[in-house]
Amino acid sequence: MTNTTQVATADDAAADVTPSPVTGEPVRRFSRAWWGALALRNAMFIVVVLVICYFSYRSLRFSSLDNLTTILIAAAPFALIALGQTIVILTGGIDLSVGSVIAMSAMSAALVAKNNPGQVWMTVLTALVVGLAAGAINGFFVSVVNVPPFIATLGMLTAGSGVAYAIGGGAPINGLPAEFGNIANKTIGGLQIPVIVMIIGIIALAVVMRRTAYGMRVYAVGGNRAAAEIAGVNARRILFSVYAISGVLAGLSGVMLASRVISGPPNLGQGYELDAIAAVVIGGASLMGGRGSVWGTALGLILIQTLNNGLDILLVPSYFQDVIKGVLIVFAVAVDVWTSRRRQ
Amino acid sequence: MAGVLECEDLTMGFGGIPVLKGVTLTLEHGTVTALAGENGAGKSTLMKIASGQYRADSGTVRVDGTELRAGSTAEAHRSGVAIVPQELASIPDLTVYENLFVGKEVRRFGLLRRSEMIRQARQALNVFDVDIPVTARMASLPVGLQQIVEIVKASRTGAKVLLLDEPSSAISEREVEGLYGVVNRLREQGVAMVYTTHKMEEIRALADRVVVLRDGNLVLDEPIGKASDTDIVTAMIGRELGTLFPDRGTPGTEPVLSVSGLHVVGASAPVDLTVHAGEILGLAGLVGAGRTELIEALFGVRHSTAGTVAIRGRDVPRARPIEAIRSGMALVPEDRKGSGAVLGMSVLDNATLPQLRQFSVSGWLRGRSRSTKIEKAMKSVRLRSRNLGQSVGTLSGGNQQKVVLARWLTGDVKVLLLDEPTRGVDVGARSEIYRIITDLAASGVAVVMASSDMPEILGLAHRALVMRAGAVVGELGTDDLQRDDVQARIFSLAAGLPDPGHAAARGSAAPASAAHDAPAPVRPAPVRPAPDRSAPATAGAATSRPSEDDQ
Repeated sequence: MTNTTQVATADDAAADVTPSPVTGEPVRRFSRAWWGALALRNAMFIVVVLVICYFSYRSLRFSSLDNLTTILIAAAPFALIALGQTIVILTGGIDLSVGSVIAMSAMSAALVAKNNPGQVWMTVLTALVVGLAAGAINGFFVSVVNVPPFIATLGMLTAGSGVAYAIGGGAPINGLPAEFGNIANKTIGGLQIPVIVMIIGIIALAVVMRRTAYGMRVYAVGGNRAAAEIAGVNARRILFSVYAISGVLAGLSGVMLASRVISGPPNLGQGYELDAIAAVVIGGASLMGGRGSVWGTALGLILIQTLNNGLDILLVPSYFQDVIKGVLIVFAVAVDVWTSRRRQ
Repeated sequence: MAGVLECEDLTMGFGGIPVLKGVTLTLEHGTVTALAGENGAGKSTLMKIASGQYRADSGTVRVDGTELRAGSTAEAHRSGVAIVPQELASIPDLTVYENLFVGKEVRRFGLLRRSEMIRQARQALNVFDVDIPVTARMASLPVGLQQIVEIVKASRTGAKVLLLDEPSSAISEREVEGLYGVVNRLREQGVAMVYTTHKMEEIRALADRVVVLRDGNLVLDEPIGKASDTDIVTAMIGRELGTLFPDRGTPGTEPVLSVSGLHVVGASAPVDLTVHAGEILGLAGLVGAGRTELIEALFGVRHSTAGTVAIRGRDVPRARPIEAIRSGMALVPEDRKGSGAVLGMSVLDNATLPQLRQFSVSGWLRGRSRSTKIEKAMKSVRLRSRNLGQSVGTLSGGNQQKVVLARWLTGDVKVLLLDEPTRGVDVGARSEIYRIITDLAASGVAVVMASSDMPEILGLAHRALVMRAGAVVGELGTDDLQRDDVQARIFSLAAGLPDPGHAAARGSAAPASAAHDAPAPVRPAPVRPAPDRSAPATAGAATSRPSEDDQ
């Protein structure tokens, strides 16, 4: 209870340099307990490695370069919305609207592409602006009006889906110019553009969260909003910004998805928000805010995408895949709760 | 000396109810002003206006002669007014140095310079002689050290005025030492401080001047040497304190709770104790002495490895709270908001919760009988609520505690376990809670009360056990508790000092200051009272327990 007078040990002090022991007691480096603590800390990483090893063992095709490319391409649109979701969840919020934002931005982009063939940059810009607008509306209601994030973004999820259908008059937008497909299908240096965008996005956000004042303030607002405000952090601005960023990333994700199929289906992105939230949670973030990392989300994402792909290759029926994913989500959080209790 | 912070004729109301009715207060460099008053007197509101969090309805706040634009924390910050709020304002998952620098990060080319922040954080903490690992997670520090980090954070960027809102309410006596050291050091640096507290010893130990608010009015403003304890307390509650502790009844001889060889996990020795019908047994000791753990083990929410707990000769299975409740045990935990009451639920439902069996028939709640009985119980504790449907979270701290206590009045309770029953409760509600406790004892309930509040143990308990490291290290009977040297004795026992007689010799005139010396600080956190304050501190301590007058 409150009677913990135990002062943090030197090992705690070194927490962000070397892995500190789970029990908080001093542990000799490379001793058994030290390895145990290290394994517990990196449990998800180990799980990912084991899963990859298993699939590689079961199927030669899994470990081929072709398949790696397939996984990366499939992962890219998810990665972008999972990144946005990460910073939203770090503030203690949630963004349920990303699926509909994908649909809206994809439909807008498709519409622009159809009417302005050859102007690819304009379609991308349109998608980003639509995403930003949706995110800004979310951010406005959450940070200024103080609507709970769950409600504000649930509204956007519902309304946004309607808007997406309205853009296409209730039908998909087809017959798009071929160059629209370049956005997702063109390769630069052997990598598809979405893959490059994903890699840059992960690295950039990781640096922002770990190395800039903005990142620290996001953690601070999520950890204790009142405290952050007293320290001079403009919590409203931070909250607004995370939803706006999440919206922009969803817009980018939307245009890439539309480009891949060279059309604008209004149901694009449906249900994606849950996979994004799953990746963040599997990556060790707390839905209460203040805890989580871009690296963790990347791991969660790799795990989900590897499972999707590997289970497909092994011809596991999709309903079984869903069961496995569901169990995995709860299991990941259970392990996290258990280890953090051990740590205390 | 010119005033660094001048509040002039501040008024403010919430929803038409005036909270401040024209308060004028001037603070000078290098002084500590104790701001006392019951809960709801307007202390926090005043502090929040001064620090720019609230906008006053009328009146002005000036810092160094410049008027502070109301309602802007950032601007208050810039002009040098910082606040350390009552609820800890730390961010648990960030490290100590990140907490110190959040909002004022050290950057180069837009990127954080972590090593530089770590270096500066060490430097800032070293000035105060506190040994805190700056890269540790904030949540891993004891509350007292977190509090010190908060104060260092607020003062680090050259604050001229520091507002401390009940800084000691959640920390142990030992940690208070470190806090005093930090406050004294800041005073030497010329910072003007306001220190809100309920505790007379702290006013005496730290303040140069005492200001009392009551019902939104400033009713007392004196240099510390000129105000007696009685003056201060009378000003706070608007009446004499004589009634704080009710008469203790005479305990019966029949043992109700018998504990033998109870080995609580983490304790250094097993515990034996007996509590008789109608007896109030106090558990004294420093924070971390194992009082809470013992109480939790008795109730069964904490594991014990050996020993027996029996109520009226019948064994209660260990580590089974349900069995404890069925055997007639009741627990009022330390953490009211965390585990005492369900804040979102109504008074009625909260009071029903531990007695669901009594108030339900095969799962269906018995509406009439439940509300009649609970209404009676709440009336008997003079609960101030609109009605039984009001949610507990909207009640004041004192009234919340009354609900938590009174819900045991409706059932058949044989043993009442209390852990810090009046933490965060103002003086007025306190006396009513004391009355409830003595009434329950008078009806034959055996009461075990853990408390860090020394006057509470002395004024209420028939007998007190002093604990250290989970073991009982001393027992004081009713006669012992009435003696002048009792505070010094308790502290010597609690701190493990070999010679209580020595402390008593010094301490009979100044028990409070002896108490401050007794628990040897774990880390260098020397108390440096300015020489001119030691005299009033001694005089004040002798009268710091006016409650004894009516015993």
